[in-house]
Amino acid sequence: MNRDALVAVARAVFEAAGGTPIDPDYVLPADIPLELSGEAVRARLCVFTDNRGAEMVMRPDLTLPVAQREAARLGEAGASAKTYTYAARAFRLPAAPDDPFEFTQVGLERFGYGADPAADADLFALVHRAVEACGVQPKSIVTGDLAIFPAFIDALGLPGVTTDLLKRAFRQEGGVRAVLDAASRPLDTDVLAALEADDAEAALGAVLAARAIPLAGARSLAEIVDGLRARRAAIEAGGLPDAARTALLALRDVDCPLAEAPERLAALARAQGLPGAETALAAFALRVEKILALVPGARRTAAFRAGFGRRFTYYDGFVFEVLAEGLAPTQPVAAGGRYDGLIAGLSSGRVSATGIGGVVRPDRMVRVRRAGA
Amino acid sequence: MSRLTIAIPSKGRLKEQTEDWLASLGHPLRQIGGERGYTAEIDGLDAEVRLLSAREIAQGLIEGSLHYGVTGEDLLHDLAPDGAQDFAVLKRLGFGGADVVVAVPQAWFDVDSMADLEAAGAAFRKAHGRRLRVATKYLRLTRRFFAQKSVGEYRLVESAGATEAAPSTGTADVIVDITTTGATLKANGLKILRDGVILQSEAAFTQSVRANFGEAARQAADQLTGALSQADHIS
Repeated sequence: MNRDALVAVARAVFEAAGGTPIDPDYVLPADIPLELSGEAVRARLCVFTDNRGAEMVMRPDLTLPVAQREAARLGEAGASAKTYTYAARAFRLPAAPDDPFEFTQVGLERFGYGADPAADADLFALVHRAVEACGVQPKSIVTGDLAIFPAFIDALGLPGVTTDLLKRAFRQEGGVRAVLDAASRPLDTDVLAALEADDAEAALGAVLAARAIPLAGARSLAEIVDGLRARRAAIEAGGLPDAARTALLALRDVDCPLAEAPERLAALARAQGLPGAETALAAFALRVEKILALVPGARRTAAFRAGFGRRFTYYDGFVFEVLAEGLAPTQPVAAGGRYDGLIAGLSSGRVSATGIGGVVRPDRMVRVRRAGA
Repeated sequence: MSRLTIAIPSKGRLKEQTEDWLASLGHPLRQIGGERGYTAEIDGLDAEVRLLSAREIAQGLIEGSLHYGVTGEDLLHDLAPDGAQDFAVLKRLGFGGADVVVAVPQAWFDVDSMADLEAAGAAFRKAHGRRLRVATKYLRLTRRFFAQKSVGEYRLVESAGATEAAPSTGTADVIVDITTTGATLKANGLKILRDGVILQSEAAFTQSVRANFGEAARQAADQLTGALSQADHIS
């Protein structure tokens, strides 16, 4: 089968699962991916400038423009669950010499349905079926869960400042360690005194005037006062306790067959004394059970890695990639995951809806089939 | 490009110091068409010498359209898509030194380090519904450094010049710029973050890793690098 034939096969699998075919905007304002995901994604974006100087991008995947349409629809029509399918082009700067600039993604996105383990397993099984229908046997499957690390951090019972910092750092390239190793320096005495004043903003303004420092930029005095209070709190909290550090490093290193992951994580939570993580772990275990029931082969092929998917910018729950013989680990034939915060992020919080989706890459499956022939 | 092609900066202190350095190797430069010409010859060396801007030289070395060049490490590191493996610095020349740094308004008493900047960026996004702006001409260097420091809450604004004025004019809040003494930053109400030195840059005699060396180019290259290693022995 050539690529077009594989596209048709995969498309039929997704359309059979229900859903409205959609081919959303090719060109998006660069603000959409960059404000949502930060500059880290820019290296892969096909960016250009319009005649007024505004930065635009060719859609880097289908999830973003489909979710953007859905956010607009929810704003007008109110909440209702909806499924979309597509077989459409996406555009990215190549990360490897044999990556194409443009490629077809065949996939499905579901918005507004219950975000439960059964829904995760169902989407996973659907994508897996699409890969098999294209005549490709998964060599290995990597899965992750971007809600587990935050759940462990919450269960550690650390001060809010540290909790937020750790959650953000987990998703960044440098990881948690880069932030933890940067111990905070004490604050100047006149600045500390200003914080104690009844009107801290006015007192800080006086410190600025006394030191002849202008207030430049978009951050207000109130924001600087908030920042100083957070930093003082972090200094008083004395950084991350050793026990917490040990727990997080142990969690980061979990890499095991998916079938064993629930017990591994539960044992870790028990050993570190983190009963607060139980709800998240129960949902995780239920999902694994349902995945293995729907896709028995995953018992052999699927692994769980605690750090997997942490750089997948807008995903926030279950994530997976399907790998096949003959392609690099950075070139999955299929991928997907949950992004319950995406609609809220795209609409600045005006509307919100759960989201989950997955795609297959026919161009890569052609290569796998050719290599196997 | 059968002949050896070398590029040196076309104007300013950097040009003068490069000329002095070549002369000290026993290969003085002779500009064709006088002071305003954009080609030159090096005495005793079969090479085509081009006078280009430092940015063009860095770009040419990375692409492979030049064999050798003298330019700033800041530009080499910033323009190289894959970082330091895209060029080979043969000798740092001890002049043209400057630091590429991250600077924020002095009024930000709560921000002294990259970790503080990360926290401020996250709070800023919550309060303003957009990311903190970072103005710079060093887009790749900034992106790499911020990623390495786990700072993700920012947006880049490309700056064509006078980057240090961006916070006071409101186009950005943070800058990444080159500085020698820090005086200009200070005069603009900015401070360098404690761990915010991205690169300590110097002018560097650099070889392209992509340029093709034919027989003639190879011979002239050996002669030049020979003079270089001899000079290193003497000094």
